[in-house]
Amino acid sequence: MGNMLKKEMKLSASILSYLFIAFGFMTLIPGYPILCGAFFTTLGLFQTFQSMRENNDTVYSALLPVPKRDVVRGRYAFVVFIEMCSFAIMAVMTLLRMTVLSGSTVYRVNALMNANLVFLGFALLIFGCFNSVFVGGFYKTAYSFGKPFVSHIIAAFVIIFIAEALHHVPGLEALNAFGFDHIGLQLIILLACAAAFAVLTVLSMKRAERNFERIDL
Amino acid sequence: MSIVEVRGLCKKYPEFTLDNVSFSLDKGRITGFIGRNGAGKTTTIKSMLNLVHPDAGEVSYFGMPLAGNEAEIKTRIGYSTGTLNYYPRKKLKDLIAVTKLFYPNWDEDAAREYAELFKLDLNKTPLELSEGMKVKCNLLLAMSHGAEVLILDEPTSGLDPFSRDELLDVFLQLRDHGVAILYSTHITSDLEKCADDILYIRNGKIVSSAERGRFIETMGQPGETLEEIMLRSEREARNG
Repeated sequence: MGNMLKKEMKLSASILSYLFIAFGFMTLIPGYPILCGAFFTTLGLFQTFQSMRENNDTVYSALLPVPKRDVVRGRYAFVVFIEMCSFAIMAVMTLLRMTVLSGSTVYRVNALMNANLVFLGFALLIFGCFNSVFVGGFYKTAYSFGKPFVSHIIAAFVIIFIAEALHHVPGLEALNAFGFDHIGLQLIILLACAAAFAVLTVLSMKRAERNFERIDL
Repeated sequence: MSIVEVRGLCKKYPEFTLDNVSFSLDKGRITGFIGRNGAGKTTTIKSMLNLVHPDAGEVSYFGMPLAGNEAEIKTRIGYSTGTLNYYPRKKLKDLIAVTKLFYPNWDEDAAREYAELFKLDLNKTPLELSEGMKVKCNLLLAMSHGAEVLILDEPTSGLDPFSRDELLDVFLQLRDHGVAILYSTHITSDLEKCADDILYIRNGKIVSSAERGRFIETMGQPGETLEEIMLRSEREARNG
């Protein structure tokens, strides 16, 4: 498994997948739908799938002395690694906005979503959506990624729309809490979204393993 | 002693059926796999590598079924499906560096020797290589980890006569070290030089699997070469 991840990083990965991790810093942009940062990270990951297909990586990987399921697991490990790098940046930027920058006017006077633990939870949902809709969809054929990516774009922007709209619904203002206000609620939503990310990713990986096993190369 | 057993492989495509393909490969023997284009050689080889899933039948190596033992078996066998058709813009040395991570038995000296023998510049990318040189690079990857079985799909296609001759000498050396080799080819004169056994497939069915002398004796007419036997046999089959 470790070797498959090394192979992904040294051979398969597009440089853009690494560069787009930096979109995690978008968390600091005031007056901007900051969840788009998570979506752009998945856009960088999409470049690796493009590069992998151009380079006929599926056949190369399937010929390596590993069970075919490890080819799929290696790809998911790489995807989750990049997502977690981006998430780590978002988490640090969010903590900055929750602490030293919590009183900043540019963040306080903002109709859009605030950076808090709820935001981090929704970012994980976007990553989970990518893993389930795009990566899982790709492994139905191990070749076609246009339809799965369009589906992911639609699903990701529905999540962004919901996240941006929800705190404007009367009674749900606490979702947009500043600093450590309503920290219990923030934590519960983050943990629920983290659980959803894990479930979406694991179920999608299991389904992808079964699909990839069945595909004739 | 059989170290590879293929039993009853069947695979149905809309236009082609691989029908009950069975044969075995013995330690220290070279088997030439012949048949027309589309006869089922590549489907058989891909089934042996789990790249294609047969509808029926099984493949076992070293007494272990491929299903469930794929990783262990693949570290003990070498395979090349034609030319190097992946990562055209990566340097060969980078491709080799990653590939060898997966082989605990990777032999650095053997890799260097094959690179010298094949005159491969490892700083080049596959894109900069001729088709013949790509085949050689694939062979280097297939043969540098002490494989006990080599499965090669048309390894000599695109090679010049001198390189082919060198490669056949390598096969003979490996055979003497006990390696079982299965390779498909359309250059039957190569088989006259090095094949111990002939496996002949037509329209998805094995027509003959026999020791080379016996194959010529049973399939051929006096004085016929392997190529002449194959040509006559195909014409007879076509004409019913």
